[in-house]
Amino acid sequence: MKKANYFLAALLGLSIQFASAQVKKGSILIKNATVLTITEGTLENSDVLVQDGIIKKVGQNLNAPNGVTTIDATGKFLMPGIIDAHSHLGLDVVNEATAPIVAEVRMKDVVNPYEVGIYRALAGGVTISHAMHGSANVIGGQNATLKHRWGSTDPADIIMQDAPRTIKFALGENPTRVHGRGNNIQPRTRMGVEAILRNGFNEAIQYQKAWDSYNSESSKKGNSAMPPVNNERLQILSDILNDKIIIHCHSYRADEIYMLINVARDFGITKLVFQHTNEGFKVAPEIAEYTMGASVFADWWAYKFEVYYSTAYNAAILTENGAITSINSDDAELIRHLYHEAAKTQRYGGMTDEQALAMITINPAKQLGISDKVGSIEEGKQADLVIFEGHPLSSYTVPQMTFVDGVKYFDIKEDEDDQRLKVAPTEMVDAVMIYEGHDSRCMQDTEHLFETTNSLFQLNY
Amino acid sequence: MKKELLHAGVFCLLVSGWLSSSLAFAQSDPSGKKRITDTYAITNATVFTAPGQSGVKATVLIKDGLIVGVGSNLSLPNEAKTIAGDSLFIYPGFIDAASDVGITKPKDPERPDDFVSSNPSDEIAGITPWRSAVDQFSIKDSKVDDLRKVGFTIAQIMPDGGMLAGKAAIILLGAENSTNLLKENSGLAASFSGSRGMYPGTAVGVMAKFREIYDNTELSSQRSQKYTTVSGLKRPEITPTYSAMQEVLSGQIPVLFSTSSELEIRRAISLQKEKGFKLVLTGLEDYEEVIDVIKASGASVLVKLEIPDDKAIKAQKDDATEEVKVLNARVKKAYDEAVAQASKLEAAGIPFAFTTVGVKSGDIMKALQTMIKNGLSEKSALAALTTNSASILGISKVAGSIEKGKMANLILSTDSIFAEDSQIKHIVVDGYIYDYDTKAKKKDSKDGKEDGTVKIEGNWEYTSESPAGSSGGILSIQKEGSDYTGTITYDDPSGSGKATSPIKNVVLDGSTLSFSFDVTANGMEILVEVSGEVDSDSFKGTMNVGEFGSFPFEGTLNPTLIANK
Repeated sequence: MKKANYFLAALLGLSIQFASAQVKKGSILIKNATVLTITEGTLENSDVLVQDGIIKKVGQNLNAPNGVTTIDATGKFLMPGIIDAHSHLGLDVVNEATAPIVAEVRMKDVVNPYEVGIYRALAGGVTISHAMHGSANVIGGQNATLKHRWGSTDPADIIMQDAPRTIKFALGENPTRVHGRGNNIQPRTRMGVEAILRNGFNEAIQYQKAWDSYNSESSKKGNSAMPPVNNERLQILSDILNDKIIIHCHSYRADEIYMLINVARDFGITKLVFQHTNEGFKVAPEIAEYTMGASVFADWWAYKFEVYYSTAYNAAILTENGAITSINSDDAELIRHLYHEAAKTQRYGGMTDEQALAMITINPAKQLGISDKVGSIEEGKQADLVIFEGHPLSSYTVPQMTFVDGVKYFDIKEDEDDQRLKVAPTEMVDAVMIYEGHDSRCMQDTEHLFETTNSLFQLNY
Repeated sequence: MKKELLHAGVFCLLVSGWLSSSLAFAQSDPSGKKRITDTYAITNATVFTAPGQSGVKATVLIKDGLIVGVGSNLSLPNEAKTIAGDSLFIYPGFIDAASDVGITKPKDPERPDDFVSSNPSDEIAGITPWRSAVDQFSIKDSKVDDLRKVGFTIAQIMPDGGMLAGKAAIILLGAENSTNLLKENSGLAASFSGSRGMYPGTAVGVMAKFREIYDNTELSSQRSQKYTTVSGLKRPEITPTYSAMQEVLSGQIPVLFSTSSELEIRRAISLQKEKGFKLVLTGLEDYEEVIDVIKASGASVLVKLEIPDDKAIKAQKDDATEEVKVLNARVKKAYDEAVAQASKLEAAGIPFAFTTVGVKSGDIMKALQTMIKNGLSEKSALAALTTNSASILGISKVAGSIEKGKMANLILSTDSIFAEDSQIKHIVVDGYIYDYDTKAKKKDSKDGKEDGTVKIEGNWEYTSESPAGSSGGILSIQKEGSDYTGTITYDDPSGSGKATSPIKNVVLDGSTLSFSFDVTANGMEILVEVSGEVDSDSFKGTMNVGEFGSFPFEGTLNPTLIANK
């Protein structure tokens, strides 16, 4: 009888949860862990209580309220969910490569919650990824910040709806190759890239003026104002000028990084993050003073000409200069072990545990504008958590469980061979699956633009 | 006196007979195609008047393109031509809710010298909402008869093109002497397909562009309105794109969004929610997960009348490794779920219809039978082909069921329509009768040659008819063990002379021979499938060329012929 009631209550509770919100929120008590809070030090032998997806209490000897599952994490490490500030996971389309500015396109339109890479990222402790437009355009599309709620089939459920808007910019070889060499339009050079930016922003100012004057005129009686042509592209640039959108700019060379800093200062833009930023170490003080920092690779370079002048000390130099620095993956494989990537900053640059872990948690959270919600273990924050066996910066560490909003989405003990959400009824099954190397999607969907160039110069990207 | 009258009467008859025949000449029908009568009585058939209705013995009387009576005690006018329906089953003619039948893609406009890929003209970028499917349609296309042959009498034709291809139209698959137009401008065809190498190039660009066009159509009409009421204003720019989009914004016509997968379905619905247009989702292939979402949106649903290719599950082997077996089981499950999807739509109470865009007519009945085997009720299957499509297209008043006063669109079959052995004997469209050959049931093998099989090895001389004219070549078949192999020669589509391809999937089932081969034309590989009946040394069948339609194929076995190698 009692059992039946409990069962009924559980069922009802479940159905209420589904009816009230699509996004699942969990309640758990994790006990006796070494808690790496990131912002408030390391707490030995401590408990974290999560209720309805929010961290309610961090302390010792906490008791689980009725119906809340307790997880014993004795001897294990608990850290905030890892955040990847540069990813293309979970996107059906990466590049709308056809115009130098495509600010109007939204990656949120093409989020694909079925991509198994999301689960693999969870298995590497990553709970949030920044699903970015590619780097084919000077001003690319608006990005989506994803929460890895694996199993949801509605794209809206894996989009972090309370994250601010961000947009992709790109400097240097990619946009000049696609548009200049590929299509014979501006920009063909780095000077052209700057011209595209300045012209774009100036047009956006004119566009905003036209609408402002129409809006004030049209409310007057007997006015003869005609509505201007709608241009979402310029509207988004105008939003950037008003600091409503955070720029995330693909960049390598110091000169072009400094160029964008100057363009931003000229137009009064303050919300700017550099991505890749391989020569960031040369302009680290400027990045620290004028921007929201840089998101870099730990030690990946020399894959094209503009990426030769690089160092594994980049992240440490940027950090020591006071720039907010994060380590990203830009890759469906690398995303599975960002904690290793962060650890490399200890080998190259002697970063402390806290500094190194901040580069994959609170720092990317700051760059995505979500550090008030995630990125550290603090009461009141969203319960995105990972339990590690071994310290996460150790080479031997293995993630055990990953939680988003207090809901467990990965458990190494429940990990199946085939975790795909969906298979095609027409799929031919091959007995052997071979890993085919890096899956960088920065330039996806742009291949056709290089057909001529490739055949002329036999280039191999 | 009486006699005189009689004489006069005979004279009159003669004169009037002469007059009327000369009148017919005066109206000139040198073709001799003019019908003797437009009144037909299909007597004593088993009539299914609408989905869910059981068959009743009745006579259907049609006149001048309309059903004028259905019942058992009809008095038949003298001019009625009688079709004995005793062994026939009559169903309302199928309605294809979205179709590419008879559509030829218009030529791509040439790129101007000053073409800029980042800002192409609407027409080049696949934004042509002003185009009409009517301009791309030909009733003479062989695919029209292919589709009619499986029961379709009405189709909403969709224009071929890019993201906003143009306006659909509803046509009858009827006589060549009519425009067959039932409704022009019945919806706007839209898709997420971008234009190669220009803006918008991908689905994400298409969605942004769709919003931009939608918003500017609204602003454009605001400007035009103001221009007509206030003087002293600059002339607003009128563009064909915004003008053609106007009917979508005013809710006069729906947007027919091609959405095959569930993510595409969600994308179309999210645009609809944002902008508020009437939405018809069409070409659905994978949708089980989003049935609730579709239902909540209120959008109409057109399911692709096709089942997934079973090559993958047929290729699964029993002796596979355990790991592969587990993966195979998932694919098999996905397949089983895919063919049962339509029944889930039915269970959810969504009155869906079917679309044949991208579907081979010859595969339609098998697809329907498979869906029915996997849970779709015959009632819903028939509704999806008749009443539901009529209601979605807004033509329920005139089509979709067998009722007095509705259009005479009928299917006359030899058995209950979804039965495996059922064959279609006549189709009636708009009161015109189309006759089709029905085959006797497959002969038992003992009816064949002494050894129970027909002989096909050797060299066949064949001819085929297609819109490109008649052509032919040599089909050479050899027997290897229990299998057949061979080659076929044909006019080289990419030049002069003959080309040769190996034939594959050669199957001889009783006296039915089928095989296929690949033809390479313009860098495109086209699968040609031939199937027909062998009768001693002659072969009569049809040739299915990819999606181009089916054409007659005949051959004779020539023992002295040597195939060109």
